[in-house]
Amino acid sequence: MPMPKQTAEGLRYNKKGKISVCCKDKNMSLVYFFAGTAVCAVLSFAYLDVDWLKLLSRVPSVGEVFFKLAHFDFGMMDLVGEAFMETVSIAVLSTIYSMVLGLFFGMIAAENIFRIHILSVTVKSFFTFLRAVPTPVWVLLMLVCMGFGPSAGIAGLCVHTTAFFTKSFSQSFEDISTETIEALEVTGASKVSVFTNAVLPAAFSQLIAWTGMRFEINFSECAILGMVGAGGIGYVISSNIQGYQYGVAGIAIFLVFVFAFFIERLFVKIKSLIK
Amino acid sequence: MQGKIELMGKREKRMYLIFGAVIAAVWAVSTYVTEFSILQLFTEADTFWQFLTEDFLPPKLPGGSELVNIVQSVITTVAMAVAATTVGGILAFFVSLFGSEYISPFPAFAKVVRGFATFLRNIPALVWAFILFSSLGIGTGVAFAALLITSFAFMVRAFVETMDEVSRDCVESLLTVGATFPQRVINGILPACINGFVSWFLYCFEVNIRASTIVGMVGGGGIGLVLFSYLKSFKYNTAFGIILIIAFMVIVVDLFTNRLRREITK
Repeated sequence: MPMPKQTAEGLRYNKKGKISVCCKDKNMSLVYFFAGTAVCAVLSFAYLDVDWLKLLSRVPSVGEVFFKLAHFDFGMMDLVGEAFMETVSIAVLSTIYSMVLGLFFGMIAAENIFRIHILSVTVKSFFTFLRAVPTPVWVLLMLVCMGFGPSAGIAGLCVHTTAFFTKSFSQSFEDISTETIEALEVTGASKVSVFTNAVLPAAFSQLIAWTGMRFEINFSECAILGMVGAGGIGYVISSNIQGYQYGVAGIAIFLVFVFAFFIERLFVKIKSLIK
Repeated sequence: MQGKIELMGKREKRMYLIFGAVIAAVWAVSTYVTEFSILQLFTEADTFWQFLTEDFLPPKLPGGSELVNIVQSVITTVAMAVAATTVGGILAFFVSLFGSEYISPFPAFAKVVRGFATFLRNIPALVWAFILFSSLGIGTGVAFAALLITSFAFMVRAFVETMDEVSRDCVESLLTVGATFPQRVINGILPACINGFVSWFLYCFEVNIRASTIVGMVGGGGIGLVLFSYLKSFKYNTAFGIILIIAFMVIVVDLFTNRLRREITK
C-alpha cells in the first residue's frame, strides 16, 4: 500500500485549515457498496409497486389483531400444549440426527483431515445445493412420501440442517491449525483417531455454538412447518388465525415466543460457560 | 484401569459426559413424543426414490407466458429481500445506537430498545406474515413488512453486539474531549464497526432471500407462490424446474455476498 501524502508535520489539513480526521486511503469499495445498495433498493421498490398509502391506512388494524390475540382463550389448552410439545420434539430430533450426520459429512468435507480434494469438493457442492432449496420444499416432498405427521417434518428439516452442519462444521475443522493434526499423524494415529482426539476437542466449543444457533432456527422453522401441513404449533397458529379464533392463536404465538426467548438465553449462558 | 495414560482432563471428561447425557435424555423424550424412528426412513426409501425418479425427473419449464411469469416472480422475490433488508438495515442502524448502554445518550433506555427487538425477533417471520396477512390483506407489500420486521430486529441485535465488542476506549476518549453524540457515532463507532455492520447486513440479505421465498408460499407472492401452486396442482416436473431455479438464485446470491464481503473487509 503506498503511503499517503502528508505534510511535513505528518498532519493533513482540510480546506478550512483544520486537521483532517478522515483516513486518506479509505477502502472505496464500501462507498460503492452503499451506493449500489441504495440503487438496488430504489429499483426494488419501483418494481414491487405496492400501494403504500393503502397499506399504511390499514396499519391500525394490526393493533386490533394484537389486541384480539392478547385475549388468551384457554379452552383448547390441551391441544395447543400437545402441538407445542410435538414442535419442540421435532426441533430436537432434527437437530440431533443432523448433528450426527453433519459430523460425519463435515469430517469428509474438511480439506485437512482426509486430504482428498475431489472428495471434499464433491461433498461440499452437493450440500450447497441441498442448502439452497428452502426447507418447506423438502418438507412438502417428505409429506408426499411419508404421509402427514411429525416424521415428515423431522426428515424434511434434517435435509436442510445436515447441509448447514456439514458446511459450518467443516469450516470449524478447517480452522484448526495443521500443527495439531500433524503432531498426531506423526505418532502414527489413524485418520479417525486424529479426528476424535485432535479435531473434535479443538472444535468443540464452536460446534456447540453452531448447534445452538441451528436449534433456534429449527425451532422457528418448525413453526413454519405446520403451515404447510406437517402438524405442530404452526398448524395451530395458521388454522386459528384463518378461523378468526385469535385467542387460541395468541396462546400458541406466546408459547413460541417464550420458548424461543428461553433457548436464546440458555445458549448465551452455555457459550459463556464453555469459553 | 488398564494402565493407560488418561488423555483427557477430569473437567473436560465431566463436561462431555453431561453434554452426552443431556442429549440422550432429550432424544429419548422427543422420540417418545413424536414416535419417529429412523428406520422408517429406510422402509420408506423405495417410495421416496420412486417418487423422485418418476414424478420429479426430468425437470421441465413451461414456455411462453408462464415462463415470463416465473422470471417476473423471481425478480419479485429478490426485490422483496433487497427492499426489506435495506430499509431494515437503515432503521436498525439508528435504533441500535440507542440499544447499547455505553453509546446511547439515554443508557437507561437501552434495555427497553433491546427488549423490543427481542420481542420482534423471537416470533418467526412466517408467523408475522400470518398476523399481518390477517390484518393488512395479502400481497407483496405485506410480505415486505413481515420480512422488514424480522430483519430489522435481527440486525438491531447483531449491530448492538458488534458495537459492544469493539473497544470502548475510543468512544470514551471522544466523550472526554467533548464530542457530541453524532460526532461520537461518526468518528468513533462508524469507522470501527462498519465492516461488522456490512457483513451482518449481507448475512441478513442471504437469510431474507430464503425467507422471502417461504413467505411468498403462504400468500406473499413471488417465486414461492408459483412453486406452491405447481406443487398443489401435482405438476411435479415443473415444480422441480422451479426448485432448481430457486436453488440457482440462492447460490448466486451467496456467491455474490461472499465476494462482496471479501472485497469490503479487505
